Amino acid sequence: MDTSSPSAFVNGSLMRRYIGQKVRTVIQVVGSDVGSVVGKSTDDLQIIVKGSPPTTTTPSTYLEVIGIAENENSIRAEVWTNFGNSFDPVNYNELCKLANGEFKHLFI
Amino acid sequence: MAANLTAGAIAKMLSGEVTGEKEMTPILQVTEIKLIQQARRNQEQMSVERYKVALSDGIQSQEGMLSAASNALVKQGSIQIGSILRLTRFNCSPVRNRRIVIVNEQEIIAEKCVIIGNTLPMFTSNAQSNSVANSPRAQAVQIQAFGTGFHRQQATRTAVNVVTTSPYVSSNAGYGSSRQEQSYYSRPPPVQPQPPSMNVNRSPPVDRNQATTPMMIPIAALNPYQGRWTIKARVTSKGELKHYNKNHGDGKLFSFDLLDADGGEIRVTCFNEVVDKFFDVIVVGNVYLISKGSLRPVRREYNHLPNDYELQLESWSTVQQCYEDDVAIPRNRFRFRFIGDIENMESNSIVDLIGIVLSISPSGLIMRRNGTEAQKKALQLMDMSGRSVEVTMWGNFCNAEGQRLQSLCDSGAFPVLAVKAGRISEFNGKQVSTIGSSQLYVEPDFPEAREVREWYKREDRSAPCISISRVYSGAGRQDVRKVITQIKDENLGTSEKPDWITVSATISFMKVENFCYTACPIMIGDRPCSKKVTNNGDGTWRCERCDRSVDECDYRYILQLQLQDHTGVTWATAFQEAGEEIMGMPAKELYYLKYEDQDEEKFEDIIRKAAFTKYIFKLKVKEETYGDENRVKATVVKAEKLDYSSDTRSLLEAIHKLRTEDANPLAINPESSNYRSGAFNSGIGTSVGVPSREFGLPAANQFSSGSRPLGGMILCGACGSNGHVFANCPSFMSEPQGQHYVSTQGRNAGRGMPRQHVGSY
Repeated sequence: MDTSSPSAFVNGSLMRRYIGQKVRTVIQVVGSDVGSVVGKSTDDLQIIVKGSPPTTTTPSTYLEVIGIAENENSIRAEVWTNFGNSFDPVNYNELCKLANGEFKHLFI
Repeated sequence: MAANLTAGAIAKMLSGEVTGEKEMTPILQVTEIKLIQQARRNQEQMSVERYKVALSDGIQSQEGMLSAASNALVKQGSIQIGSILRLTRFNCSPVRNRRIVIVNEQEIIAEKCVIIGNTLPMFTSNAQSNSVANSPRAQAVQIQAFGTGFHRQQATRTAVNVVTTSPYVSSNAGYGSSRQEQSYYSRPPPVQPQPPSMNVNRSPPVDRNQATTPMMIPIAALNPYQGRWTIKARVTSKGELKHYNKNHGDGKLFSFDLLDADGGEIRVTCFNEVVDKFFDVIVVGNVYLISKGSLRPVRREYNHLPNDYELQLESWSTVQQCYEDDVAIPRNRFRFRFIGDIENMESNSIVDLIGIVLSISPSGLIMRRNGTEAQKKALQLMDMSGRSVEVTMWGNFCNAEGQRLQSLCDSGAFPVLAVKAGRISEFNGKQVSTIGSSQLYVEPDFPEAREVREWYKREDRSAPCISISRVYSGAGRQDVRKVITQIKDENLGTSEKPDWITVSATISFMKVENFCYTACPIMIGDRPCSKKVTNNGDGTWRCERCDRSVDECDYRYILQLQLQDHTGVTWATAFQEAGEEIMGMPAKELYYLKYEDQDEEKFEDIIRKAAFTKYIFKLKVKEETYGDENRVKATVVKAEKLDYSSDTRSLLEAIHKLRTEDANPLAINPESSNYRSGAFNSGIGTSVGVPSREFGLPAANQFSSGSRPLGGMILCGACGSNGHVFANCPSFMSEPQGQHYVSTQGRNAGRGMPRQHVGSY
């Protein structure tokens, strides 16, 4: 895996900071369409992920998507990872907040 | 019974006020009887028997002679020591230098009675000459013979006194107090010089005109060389009646504390029969005049009052209530300290506190080590130093003041609580507990209480309050999260009791030889014996403890594990329960697999699976002595698979705590702040947080021992993100850099690491 372009941990509200940049986030699948997946971010905002998921996504699974943030609520996904069903969104949300806030220097 | 003796009668008889029955017919007690052979001059040479007595009115005593007619009464025992007599016909006449009572007729009120009051022994066995009329010289001899240093009453009355005292004093030069007695003469105002008494040994003091001039002194002036004294004080606390059992017998006692107008305090104790005398008399809050107690050196393990002495009352001590209250004597004497100062005070010291009760928890029952149950109730007390401490009350306090506080707090109030004589203990930081002599005052009315209340009103209710007691949720063993190097750094297990800690770690190695042992399966109570059994050779197994042989033995795990977390490595031993959890199968199965089935491959598979998994281990750390060597051993009590979700949550809490404490900077350990600047590149900039009492940075161990690593934070030492340990760090994947991280200990090193690695891992 190439390490050339780092991606920032974001949740729904933080996406706007990284428009046009590579981001990663975890969403809980709400529904899927052709060519896109609608999910709920860890801070309960709606995120649309464009691209094709590797497997059929059942609602309530967690997916991690890494891609370019097109606007503040949609990502063009490049990498998808299935995180399964048991995932703690609260912790992830806190992580995003910390990673972009106080401890930003520890990340990118 | 004291009331029955005519108090003051002897004084009157001695002074000449009363010479005979015309003035009064006093009731007196016989305190001594002596048979005298009186030589009669004008008769045959036969000597006559007469009985010489000492008669007492409870305060003073006087020499007297019974009529010859009364001899029979004495012989038959109607008149004996202790008998109470009313003198119906008598004569007080001066004989030579003394006044002697010649009792012509008496009425026997009581034949037997306990000696009332504390008059002196008047005659000694040898000093007395055989005639009633003693010469002054003989008198002087008598005085000298006393040896205990008590003066005779008559001596005070006459000029002889001056003469006799000097030989007396010189003969008793050995007594340091006699010198004091000399000085005594100049001091007392009354007409008669008052020879003092010494309570050096446990004998009753001379009673001089007790009724007229009580020698009032402040409590602080009490000392064993003080002769007669009286103190006027208020009872500030009264202890319960206690029974004790010693080798030489049982007994009972009770104590009470006194406070006088000068602020002096002293504890008074009564034993056995004295308890009966005074227990109902003493009431908290009343003022009493107390005299004739014996002064003892203080017993520090029971008495925490600021006095080097304590009083013991005897049967001759007097306690007299003052009915008019003395406003000069305060009701209580407190020496309040700030909770902030407690941190610097020694454990087991006694302190008075006053503050606001922030919270109180319901009473609980605790099982003591000796099996008895005790009721306890804990509350958080905060005072003007901005610190709070956990105050624990035991026993009755839970029900009385405890309940009152509970209802006040439940209704939303923050009551003021004053604690007198609480003991500081070290248990989760510093704590204060009640002891037998403690007192709790809920919403008291002293000026300090008002001050505290005013302060609390002004103070912002939500102001952070720093607790000097580390409060962990859950009674009993607390979930103390530590990192592995803390075991060594903090010398865990070296104190008397084992330390129970929780670590989040990975098994990095497991000893495969001897992973289990043959154990005795016989049940003892509800547990199997589990002692190692030896093979008898014929297929049976013998247990030493149970003294039996069994055909089938149990196999129990005894796994030697190497546990590793991001800070360090330690060895631990896991027994049956933890072993099963780790291996995933009972020991017997594994044993069979290896030895019976000889299935090496499968065995190795299982071992491999078990290793390098992360668990939350509950460890019991204790130092054990092996011959000469002391080794700290860790036993795995419980092994649980790591639940990432809850673990992360606790980490988050830790982070938040760090951040909020960063906002209110505490006194920073200078060592650790140096560390901080060293660890981070200048590029990083601000430090993460201030190491507080409980949290620090994970890599801190490597630096000064003063800073402590984060408890339970799974922060990767390499890349600085949470959720994994550097052993699992994705950045580890690229080997060379991994090594680099280990050596630099730098969180900064992880700075440039791209995040994609998380996915690949």
